[in-house]
Amino acid sequence: MGRFVGGGNASTYFATRTGTTNILVYEMLGSAVWMTSWLVVEDVGVSLRHEQVSGTLEQNFLAPIDRATLLVGMSLADVVITTGIFLIAVGATVVLTMRADIVGLLQAYLMLLIGLIPLFGMCFLFSGIIIRFKEPYVFVQIVNVLFAVLTGTYYPVALLPFWIRFLSGFLPQTYVIEDMRQIILANQTLVSLYGNVFVLFALALVYPTIGYAIFKRIERKASVTGEFSKY
Amino acid sequence: MNSQNTSSLIKICGEFKAAFLKDLRSYVRYPAWLVGEFISTPLWFFFFALGVTLFSPTNVTNSSVNTFDFFYFGFIFIILFSTAVWGIGQSIRNEQQAGTLEQFFLAPVNRATLIVGRWARVFLTDVLIIGYTTVIVYTLGNEQPVMLNPGLFLYSLGLYEIGLIGFGLFFAGLTMRIKSYNTLSNIVFFGYMILTGALFPIDVIPIPFRYISMAIPFTYFIDLMRNAALSTSTILPAPTEYFMATILAFSMLLIGFAAFNKIEEQARVKGTISAM
Repeated sequence: MGRFVGGGNASTYFATRTGTTNILVYEMLGSAVWMTSWLVVEDVGVSLRHEQVSGTLEQNFLAPIDRATLLVGMSLADVVITTGIFLIAVGATVVLTMRADIVGLLQAYLMLLIGLIPLFGMCFLFSGIIIRFKEPYVFVQIVNVLFAVLTGTYYPVALLPFWIRFLSGFLPQTYVIEDMRQIILANQTLVSLYGNVFVLFALALVYPTIGYAIFKRIERKASVTGEFSKY
Repeated sequence: MNSQNTSSLIKICGEFKAAFLKDLRSYVRYPAWLVGEFISTPLWFFFFALGVTLFSPTNVTNSSVNTFDFFYFGFIFIILFSTAVWGIGQSIRNEQQAGTLEQFFLAPVNRATLIVGRWARVFLTDVLIIGYTTVIVYTLGNEQPVMLNPGLFLYSLGLYEIGLIGFGLFFAGLTMRIKSYNTLSNIVFFGYMILTGALFPIDVIPIPFRYISMAIPFTYFIDLMRNAALSTSTILPAPTEYFMATILAFSMLLIGFAAFNKIEEQARVKGTISAM
């Protein structure tokens, strides 16, 4: 498709816009982060709905543990899956197509893990919304395509209009994708990218706090209206 | 036309209207799905279009066909194709899973009318989505899709839709045979995107695979719609291709009807209509 659009100079045009000629790794990094987000949203966001449909949500909520522990516990399995995606998709592509830099790969992986924390926070919020409005798949579909468009999965966010870029700035994956590309393709380090790392840590604090607060609010309301057991 | 033919036609129109309204009511009953479809479809378009933009020339050229126009029409073709796969075919599977397929088939109306009624509703939704995506694209990027020959475009679109109904009927029949419908529909959908030239001209497909492209009727419908809208060159001489596409469209419709009826008859004999 690229060849059709740009002819023989397609990779030159690509390099002009992205700063790299390594199309495969550039796109693979974006895809891996997007895939991770997709999995996390579907797993954490929808799992409570599954419990609701199978009639076990009340039992889970009656267990003598904190809701936060329950939500975090559900999220932890995704760390393992994310590691798998990183090793298979990113690791293999990098090793096969360019001179592998293990330290760089480790830093990129660390970036991905830090990015999971705010994502989990967002998913706590989604869980609450899904318990309230049901219809998890519609919600997951919208959220995932929004992530794909806004976070620069296949293109730099600089291509987006200013006001959309402004929205992108609120999504952790935007920083994760950008920094992973900088680390692997432009030999940057986490230290040199400290600005983005700082923002990511800030989002890792803000999203879980807000997500959990909203989840608790919806939960409180649902326990009054009997929403938990409704389909 | 004698009075018997007239009353048959009125009956079919009534059935068609009822089937269309039934599907429209089911559709608006789930507003979340409706909103989801209207939000996510144009977003998918922007997502892929922006990805492709990376490979386009950095300065404006005088190329005969604008990449945006080419891709925009590709988006329309894909949405309409999904009508056949998920709109028509999936509807039978949905009824099967909801346990309402037998009630559906027991209604004293023609099966095909029911399915065409479903197609009409999906087509209406698709047109609305395409329309408002065009408005968004125009508002955001000031890109106005080109339409050089609306008459020929509508004719080619009509052929494409006739072919799609035939294909959808065949697919709907398959849902009574093949239970892992999603896998099949995904394979067919991605095969369509890669092989028919919906998103790029078939010239860029390597030679052994290009023969497969040329054996798929949808390749010609797409080629003719683009030719009418953007004046791109056709695979075969234009009059030959229009003639061939017309024959193909009606053949697909007839084959689709026949296949659906045959599979349904076999399923009724074996009692597998509701088997999941």
